[in-house]
Amino acid sequence: MKSVIEIAHAVRHGQISAMQMVDQCLSGLAAGDRQLGAVTRVLAERARGEAAQVDALVAAGRDPGPLAGVPYGVKDLFDVAGLPTTAGSSLYADAPPASRDAEAIERLRAAGAILVATLNMDEFAYGFATINARHGTTRNPHALERLAGGSSGGSAAVVAAGLLPFALGSDTNGSVRVPASLTGVYGLKPTHGALPMRGVFPFAKSFDDVGPFARSTRDLRLICGVLQGIAMAEPRARSLRVARLGGRFCDNVDADFSAALATIAPGAPVVDLPEIARARSAAFLIAAYEGGHLHRDALARDAMAFDPATRDRLLAGALLPSGLNHAAQDFCNEFKQLVGKLIVDYDVLLAPSAPCVAPLIEDPLILIDGARRPARSDLGIHTQPISFAGLPSLAVPLRRPGRLPLGMQLIGRPGDEASLFGFAAMLEENGVIGWSPPPGVLQGNHQ
Amino acid sequence: MVRSMKLLLSWDPFLIALIAVVGAASLFPVSGVAAGWVGAAADLAITLLFFLHGAKLSRAAIVQGAGNWRLHAMVLGSTYILFPAAGLALVALVQGWGNPLLLSGLLYLTLLPSTVQSSIAFTAIARGNVAAAVCSASLSNLVGIFITPLLVGLLLQIEANGTISSWQSIRTIALQLLLPFLAGHFLRPLIGGLIDRNKAILQPVDRGSILLVVYSAFSAAVINGIWSRVSLGDLLELLALSAVLLALIMGFNWGVARLAKLPREDAIVLLFCGSKKSLVSGVPMAGALFAPSQVGLVVLPLMIFHQLQLFVCAALASHFRRQSEAVDDAEATLAISHGAQQIDATAAALGMTIPEACMPGVEANLALLERHAETLLRRDDAG
Repeated sequence: MKSVIEIAHAVRHGQISAMQMVDQCLSGLAAGDRQLGAVTRVLAERARGEAAQVDALVAAGRDPGPLAGVPYGVKDLFDVAGLPTTAGSSLYADAPPASRDAEAIERLRAAGAILVATLNMDEFAYGFATINARHGTTRNPHALERLAGGSSGGSAAVVAAGLLPFALGSDTNGSVRVPASLTGVYGLKPTHGALPMRGVFPFAKSFDDVGPFARSTRDLRLICGVLQGIAMAEPRARSLRVARLGGRFCDNVDADFSAALATIAPGAPVVDLPEIARARSAAFLIAAYEGGHLHRDALARDAMAFDPATRDRLLAGALLPSGLNHAAQDFCNEFKQLVGKLIVDYDVLLAPSAPCVAPLIEDPLILIDGARRPARSDLGIHTQPISFAGLPSLAVPLRRPGRLPLGMQLIGRPGDEASLFGFAAMLEENGVIGWSPPPGVLQGNHQ
Repeated sequence: MVRSMKLLLSWDPFLIALIAVVGAASLFPVSGVAAGWVGAAADLAITLLFFLHGAKLSRAAIVQGAGNWRLHAMVLGSTYILFPAAGLALVALVQGWGNPLLLSGLLYLTLLPSTVQSSIAFTAIARGNVAAAVCSASLSNLVGIFITPLLVGLLLQIEANGTISSWQSIRTIALQLLLPFLAGHFLRPLIGGLIDRNKAILQPVDRGSILLVVYSAFSAAVINGIWSRVSLGDLLELLALSAVLLALIMGFNWGVARLAKLPREDAIVLLFCGSKKSLVSGVPMAGALFAPSQVGLVVLPLMIFHQLQLFVCAALASHFRRQSEAVDDAEATLAISHGAQQIDATAAALGMTIPEACMPGVEANLALLERHAETLLRRDDAG
């Protein structure tokens, strides 16, 4: 499948109709998703309706928008008008349908993009694995026996496999960056609150953000511009002040990542963020508390109706005392101030997105500090403290064709996503980062 | 034992006064010319009572709390649809087994509006949504002034001097209640402040009026031989039917609250406002709606039901309060529960049950959270 920019260009100039694009996309999704298990609902009728509207605008000589005819999917927690918002749970399978689209979808539609599918996730976005009792486990396009990561695993997998040019996910503790790293695509966790959250099923409101996945910096920048309502500026040719995050960000890291980092930023200073262990623990506690309390009434009514994979975690979160949540929130405010002062002299901070390559589905455990820990809860070890600080973070794939993907976080100051895109564009141009087509059965989908 | 003592102490002094008046009317029933004077005074008392009801009703409270329309619709549905339906079913079920006039009284009580003061008081004790309770109960009373006489006309067939003979009489009766009510309500801008400031002084007027109506009604009933027509068995049957009715309505409302996923605070409002019936409205309405000889028997079920609902609601409100305080206690701490027994206790305090199959997973997750809590609180430098 072509890139976002190529598709929009072709549709805007009448080289292909939006309807043809949607039909191609739907047949590709039907074939490709058999192996992945990434799609939860195909919205063919709606997609064709939106495509007809785009084609009518093109035919009338009117501007169909910067994303004209570009098909995309959304994680199963965005409101889609006329459908129940399930958040990946069978509990909400028969919920009343949403009366209108989520704001992010409305903005994309106004820009000409066409929604074709909803995508798999960990139930209620609680996990880094996309193992879902209702929809199954989403597989990694680079190795079908491995996890795609989560909780936005379906969104990452369809983009990585070339079945859709972009998709939306959400990131509370790393749910965009972890699957982006494991599947080898780009994913943005914006500055907290920068992208529209209306119509998105919450997990932990203190950290919830929406974020897009794409296969290039340029595609991702265009989508972010549409989502935030202001086109992002072209990266300026200026020297960016880059540093590497040290301390806990150097532990539990794949050796290949350390080697790549030495090449990318050999002389970069190392910034040690203090209290990282406390930050991660506080983030863990707040997410558990807010997630558990959000579902407490439903858990009290019928806990067994929840996905077994998230049920016990939510129950435990619901039993957490509010005193702990207050203590964690107090520390969060201190931490943000502390980090703000430490990073004021840098434009981009480099850190791993995940501690390792995609774990095996059969053995979903990873090594953390020498102990085997559940991937579902611990893959976010390097992303959680960044969400905690409310910083923007762009996950980019290290360029390593034929090998399992590994991602890197480009972290910036609040509101300065532009520097992250600028640095990513430079690395991409130098061939250091970039999407690599998955090998094997799914290769036929790439054009 | 202690609880039984508390229940005894929770007898409403007003109810004791009511029983005393019933006793006085039984021993010294007013008759002849004096009965005419007492009857006229009772009519005047009803007028005064509805005038005061109208003046006390705050439209602002209704407008302010009107946003929660789903809850108010449920309360009104319970008061004016569910209750009458349950009353009809219950009366049909026991038809022929008891005094027909008492059964009419039982059906009559199901057509009445909800209480205002005690619904709000119990909601406050139970830590429910007090603002919504004020709105719901006020709305129920406002609607009741129109609906109750209509429902009485539709559903109650009273023979022998019954005043419910035609729509004309219903309209007249409604106007007898409605006019003073509306007069009081529309004069509220002028006298509302005075009434709100002097609630303590006005309460005796309010309650004195009811006592006068009851005395008048029971005097007529005694002269017509009420105590030869009502046996202890009848009273026990009434108590049992009242208990069944209350249990049915409360159980149904609690189930609806859970199905509708009402927040706990709103579920308490539905339970208390939707399951209660107003003695303060019911006695004078009966005085206006029924023949003097029938009023005593008709209000007897209401008096029994009223005391029962006070007992049950007082006990439930205390239970909800204890539950709410336990949640506060559980949440105020920084300690995470350990072991199945402690976890079960914490969950119970929060109104939850941990399924047996989940306990190992919950224990493991709480242990993980505790490690994070230790890191956060600096009791452990690892992590």
